[in-house]
Amino acid sequence: MTIAAGIGYALLALGPSLSLFVSVISKKPFLILTVLSSTLLWLISLIVLSGLWRGFLPLNSTTWWPYGMLLFTSIAFQEGLRLLFWRVYKRLEDLLDAFADKVSKPRLFMTDKMQISLAGGLGHGVAHAVFFCLSLLTPAFGPATFFVDRCSQIPFFLVSAIIALAFVTIHTFSMVIAFNGYAEGNKVDQLFVPVVHLAAGLVTLVNFASGGCIVSIPLLYFIAILTLIRCGKMVWRRLTEHQSTQGNS
Amino acid sequence: MESSILESIGVEIIGVMSPVSICMFLVVLLVYSLSPSNPFSSSPSVPIRTAANLVYLESPSDSATQKLEGSLLNALVFVILIAIVTFLLVVLYYYNFTNFLKNYMRFSAFFVLATMGGSIFLSIIQHFSIPVDSITCFLLLFNFTVIGVLSVFSGGIPIILRQAYMVSLGIIVATWFTKLPEWTTWALLVALAVYDLVAVLAPGGPLKLLVELASSRDDELPALVYEARPIATRSRGSNLGLLVGGVSDSGSVELQAVNNSENRTTNEGESSPLVSHSRERHSFSSDSSEHSTVVVCTDRVQNREPEIVVDEEMSPLVEMMGLGNERAQQTRRDNVEVRGSGSGSDSDRGIKLGLGDFVFYSVLVGRAAMYDLMTVYACYLAIISGLGCTLILLSVCHRALPALPISITLGVVFYFLTRLLMEPFVVGTATNLMMF
Repeated sequence: MTIAAGIGYALLALGPSLSLFVSVISKKPFLILTVLSSTLLWLISLIVLSGLWRGFLPLNSTTWWPYGMLLFTSIAFQEGLRLLFWRVYKRLEDLLDAFADKVSKPRLFMTDKMQISLAGGLGHGVAHAVFFCLSLLTPAFGPATFFVDRCSQIPFFLVSAIIALAFVTIHTFSMVIAFNGYAEGNKVDQLFVPVVHLAAGLVTLVNFASGGCIVSIPLLYFIAILTLIRCGKMVWRRLTEHQSTQGNS
Repeated sequence: MESSILESIGVEIIGVMSPVSICMFLVVLLVYSLSPSNPFSSSPSVPIRTAANLVYLESPSDSATQKLEGSLLNALVFVILIAIVTFLLVVLYYYNFTNFLKNYMRFSAFFVLATMGGSIFLSIIQHFSIPVDSITCFLLLFNFTVIGVLSVFSGGIPIILRQAYMVSLGIIVATWFTKLPEWTTWALLVALAVYDLVAVLAPGGPLKLLVELASSRDDELPALVYEARPIATRSRGSNLGLLVGGVSDSGSVELQAVNNSENRTTNEGESSPLVSHSRERHSFSSDSSEHSTVVVCTDRVQNREPEIVVDEEMSPLVEMMGLGNERAQQTRRDNVEVRGSGSGSDSDRGIKLGLGDFVFYSVLVGRAAMYDLMTVYACYLAIISGLGCTLILLSVCHRALPALPISITLGVVFYFLTRLLMEPFVVGTATNLMMF
């Protein structure tokens, strides 16, 4: 129950993204590079944030509002970063198209663009899971486990793995939604993403109450599923539109 | 399905990154699994004396300044030693002692695989209490070592085996380097990054001399280098991408020919090789290994590049270009590969990465693994992105570039940032189950 448990927690958090990586990303080298760079971007954002907050740590663990502030600033910063990522991606897309013209290959397909945004989102999600869940898992490989006072029903590692899974889903697919929203100029989608991110972050604040994780985890999964449905609908709509325009032309 | 451009960009970057990642991953795994209860981790109480800590033996009780001074001295001595050895190598190579050098490399590969690798295997066997008797173990080790030695410098070994042995050599050496005390390791890494910068870029630097000599002789580098061949394009691209791309690829072909001719002044093979060409293609299409092509055209081992030039001058046969490229034997130094933003093509000559780069990347990550997993991830990302930056610079600069400085600098910076800034932040928020 030691190594098995540790691997189990890790797979619980990262299993879906692993299968996504193997099935979609790993076949296209450029997508791997996108995942890596987006992971690096997320890591840098985390380092900057921790540098900003370093002076105030450790936070008083009895009051919740400093954590609220922390979450709010972090999410605001990361959403700003997403805009930056989009700008960079936009330039990259032009470069790629120019390059494709040069070697007489087809330009980027719509699915290609979606895959790039998926890879970017996956990078963010994986970075989240790695730094918030996986890097704390080291003790889980040992012979004991760890419980937090506020959530005494489930082992800490299991809770963090479950939460990380929800966040991986949210990050991955909200990036697809966001990129699509920016590309189409769709205000609803553009707003949807930060709101979802913020809501998910604030839901984890519920964990602050004793036994709050029983409430917060279902809420978090509700948000994750909402993101998934929204993303799925959007992709479906784009694909059918694309097919119909192709059929007409 | 048409091949989209996403599949062809970055193949060569991934071709270098994946072995580096594998090497780092395995080193971390080794360090992680062997460190808690094994003779090595208890040995820091009786520190081993190697070339890397000749001057100063670190002990945990020393003060910080003492450690700093000592580790700097250690690093200095080690770098001077390496510089002397490299100059010796250059001198030997200059006077054409190539066979001696190759045999020396073989011997050192034998030594590393047999003794260092053997002791690592022993400790693995002890740690996991694998039931194996000594004779079997010896036999296996002997076989492993002999194949490794054979694969280092001779043809006739599948490239994948050679790559595997290069990676395992890197793993073994890196695992040994992680046994150095902490301060010495950091000082050593930084010093080596600086040394690498000087040795490759400064006029008269030993590695620069070596590379220039090797490329002027059109010879292989007499050193242990990892050679990334486009395996991926061979398995997939050659029957999909390049064939589909067909004639329309001629734009890139022209570019390549230009690249090549500015690169390669020796075009002496240009007139002849039509015949050997078709042979070569034949042998490749039968999916033979490197060996059989060498056998088919025995005298052409040295003259590969001219063939490639011809390859590209016959531009309509683009599939041949793909095949020829697999044979492109160039150092990563004069690898004129324009990528991404520029006028490159999806073809690639093998990028070469010195084994030392493998080793020291892995040492950094292994050292980070002794602190926490978080630093491992941060260092891994930093090193890989540094490597990516180096590769992109390589495509811009068209010359030999040191692979250590950017990666090691980023790695060290990220290690300390993670350790000092990020860890309290992340642990503080995550243990309260706050996430974002």
